[in-house]
Amino acid sequence: MNLGIRAILYTVRKWKKTLLIFCLLLSITTLTLSGLAIADAQEEQAEEVRGTTGASFTVERNLSTGGWSNGSDGTYSTQEFISEDMIKEIASVDGIAGYDASFILMPFFYDETGKALPATIYSFFTYGTLNSEYSELFLSGRFELVEGSHITDEMTNGIIISRELAEDNGLKIGDMITGVCYPENNTPEVEMELVGIFDVVADKDDQVNMYDASSYFDYSDYTFCSMGAMDKMVEGWGDDEIEEAYFYVSDAAQLDNVIEEVKKISSINWNNFNITANDEVYQNISSSLSDTGTLITTLIIVITVVSMVLIILILSMSVRSRKREMGILLAVGIAKPSVILQYVLETALIAVVAFPLAYLSSRQVAGTLGTLFGKAAENVVVTSQHFALVAVVGSILLIIAVIVSCIPALRFKPKQILSQME
Amino acid sequence: MNLAKRACLYLVRKKGKTATLLAFLLVMATLMLTCLSIQSATETANANIKKALMGYFTINAKQLQTGITEDTLNQILSIDGLSGNYTLRSYSYANYSDADGKPLAINTEDAAQVPEGYENAGRIVANTNSDNDSYFTDGGFELVKGTAITSANKNSVLIHEKFAERNGLSVGDTMRLTDVTDENRSISATVAGIFTNTKEQDSIGIAPSYDLYDNIVFTDLSTVSYLLYGTDGETSVQYGDFYVNDPDELDRIMTEVEEIEGVNWDNCTLTRYDNDYQNAKESLAGLQNIVFIAIAVVSVICFLVLALFLTLRLRGRIHETGVYLAMGISKGAVLMQYLLEVLIVAVAALLISYGASSAISDQIGSRLLSQVTAETYETVELTDEAENTEQPSAEDLGLSEIVVDVSAEDYALVWGFGLVLCLASTALAAYPIMKMKPKNILSQMS
Repeated sequence: MNLGIRAILYTVRKWKKTLLIFCLLLSITTLTLSGLAIADAQEEQAEEVRGTTGASFTVERNLSTGGWSNGSDGTYSTQEFISEDMIKEIASVDGIAGYDASFILMPFFYDETGKALPATIYSFFTYGTLNSEYSELFLSGRFELVEGSHITDEMTNGIIISRELAEDNGLKIGDMITGVCYPENNTPEVEMELVGIFDVVADKDDQVNMYDASSYFDYSDYTFCSMGAMDKMVEGWGDDEIEEAYFYVSDAAQLDNVIEEVKKISSINWNNFNITANDEVYQNISSSLSDTGTLITTLIIVITVVSMVLIILILSMSVRSRKREMGILLAVGIAKPSVILQYVLETALIAVVAFPLAYLSSRQVAGTLGTLFGKAAENVVVTSQHFALVAVVGSILLIIAVIVSCIPALRFKPKQILSQME
Repeated sequence: MNLAKRACLYLVRKKGKTATLLAFLLVMATLMLTCLSIQSATETANANIKKALMGYFTINAKQLQTGITEDTLNQILSIDGLSGNYTLRSYSYANYSDADGKPLAINTEDAAQVPEGYENAGRIVANTNSDNDSYFTDGGFELVKGTAITSANKNSVLIHEKFAERNGLSVGDTMRLTDVTDENRSISATVAGIFTNTKEQDSIGIAPSYDLYDNIVFTDLSTVSYLLYGTDGETSVQYGDFYVNDPDELDRIMTEVEEIEGVNWDNCTLTRYDNDYQNAKESLAGLQNIVFIAIAVVSVICFLVLALFLTLRLRGRIHETGVYLAMGISKGAVLMQYLLEVLIVAVAALLISYGASSAISDQIGSRLLSQVTAETYETVELTDEAENTEQPSAEDLGLSEIVVDVSAEDYALVWGFGLVLCLASTALAAYPIMKMKPKNILSQMS
């Protein structure tokens, strides 16, 4: 009887024992696979958390390398402005989630009947913006969009106003508003469509704000309009252009790398512009976040090591209980290597079924346990790489475990083994 | 031979098997304990993240006759859940004069208008720590001489470089601040420092004279309190920013604040600022779920493996069971013997596992610690956030130290579950064997 048949027969006839070892192998492999998947999920989740910290960098004109000129309203810098092409080029760098740039004017607005919208103070504090979603006022939570949509760089004539202004003047989404910058100079009238309405969350009465031009306007008189509309309002008048642009990265940990990439853009003369990183929130939480990461990684390492130890323990126990059998096999003249091979083969037979099944079950385990306790587990995904890793390492471990457990018994002669038994 | 003796002898004579069982139980118990200690450590880490996201609320008590009094402040600070980190602020206008009462000159050149009665007046700003005021954190102000003003200072002012130049003032000189509405309130203060602005004021041409950077004076809270409310010895303030440990609790804390008696809360504005937390909230919960799922997976599978292992062990002893029964030992006694064996080993394993898991936890703890010390905190450029009146560095956020250790509860939990499981699975595995007659058992053996 060759060893293959012997192995199969043993596995089939001792089916209860086979089943037990099979279940053990299945459980432990499932544990390891789930562990690996969890480690990856943690990585992803931490990246997501970092993404929510609003880490950004600001590109602004470098006034120190530019020239200065004197005009009617004092000294001004002649440094080049930030062009929209330049912004688009920077925004196309990998890792940038969003961007905004704006310049501010204080135009007057008229509704469809030609009636001027009343402003609390003089006129409206208006941001010509590319992506209002990424405006500091919205990001910081001072304003909150409650109706309609944000202004994007694809819109050419959108405008967002405060709820107060909309309600006081009976304006609703889709209405047209006409903006004029300097009516006394007959600057162009620009038609804009009301695309969004925001709520003021912040307390403007808080005097902490009082140090710049924006402080003198009521929050309800803040408006955001498309960059295109803004450009048209001052066509041929003045040189109001973009002085600062904000770029938000998707992973705060990559901020430095993204900035490095941006600095490599050769079409921009970086001598004329400064880049500043803003990642205060990320800096605050980064150490705690990496603590969590370390803890989970350690947990997974512990799980993996424990799994290995368990497999070795179980196999050595199962092989050691077969000492008598080993003695008989040796006594009937079967060579030691072929005895070992038989045992390895038996284990392999079980593993061949247990491993793929563990792959399937581990894909279920995390999800099932998650939903059982009402926690989401979308990120925990067992990939085929995990499986390949576990299958290869597991197989090697199994073979070593069997061989090592056989050594004590195989050192003896069959007679010694058999006489040693009770 | 009684069953206890039999159990002990079995354990001693079958050293190899006992060692395997001990190792197995030890590994299991250590794994569970380590998992539980890691879980509680991640909870601390998570609480730290929540705290570091700096959720706070602002009380605007500008409309109140008395502002926020010291008494009210103490009641607010005693509310559970505040991080202890807070900023008090007051703003006013005052006429400036020198020690002899001679008016000091302000910058009127760049002003849109000089309102009547404000010819020698400017804006007065007081903050718990002038370094943390938004003018310094976001407005680009910088101290060039002297020191910042904190709540420890009394009767001190910081003045603008140009204001100092214009009036020949330097650090250590005395000037007088007089209330613009009530001429009776006048207080003298010492110049503690001189600041300058690094960014151009963009509201030149719009701003009235008193709001111009040159004309701003920073002072301590008690000085402004006297100018605003005429308090003596006590300090009342207009605004307070109170940081909380857990931004999820902002609503509860703000409700509790509004329940404090003796204050007309209808005239105050309470605003919550927790946008950073709201942004991160969902992902943070996801991260916590992952930890939870990891622990759940480990626990469930550990129990499964343990039960299977004990079954496997007992099945190897069918022959022995048959012999015992044939010898006339009652089934109950045999079962008790098996249970006792497992119990003895389990107790030993659980005792050792405490030491083992503590050692592992210490290792993890020191790994976290070395990570912190290895981390270099970069100085970050100031953000453009006007609301953020404070820019604390990571060190003074008051984060809890993450302690990875085996708590008594966790240990008790593992003891309880471990023992019950060991006994239950042994009994369960023994059941089919016990059902049989000794003859059947022995004849069934190969």
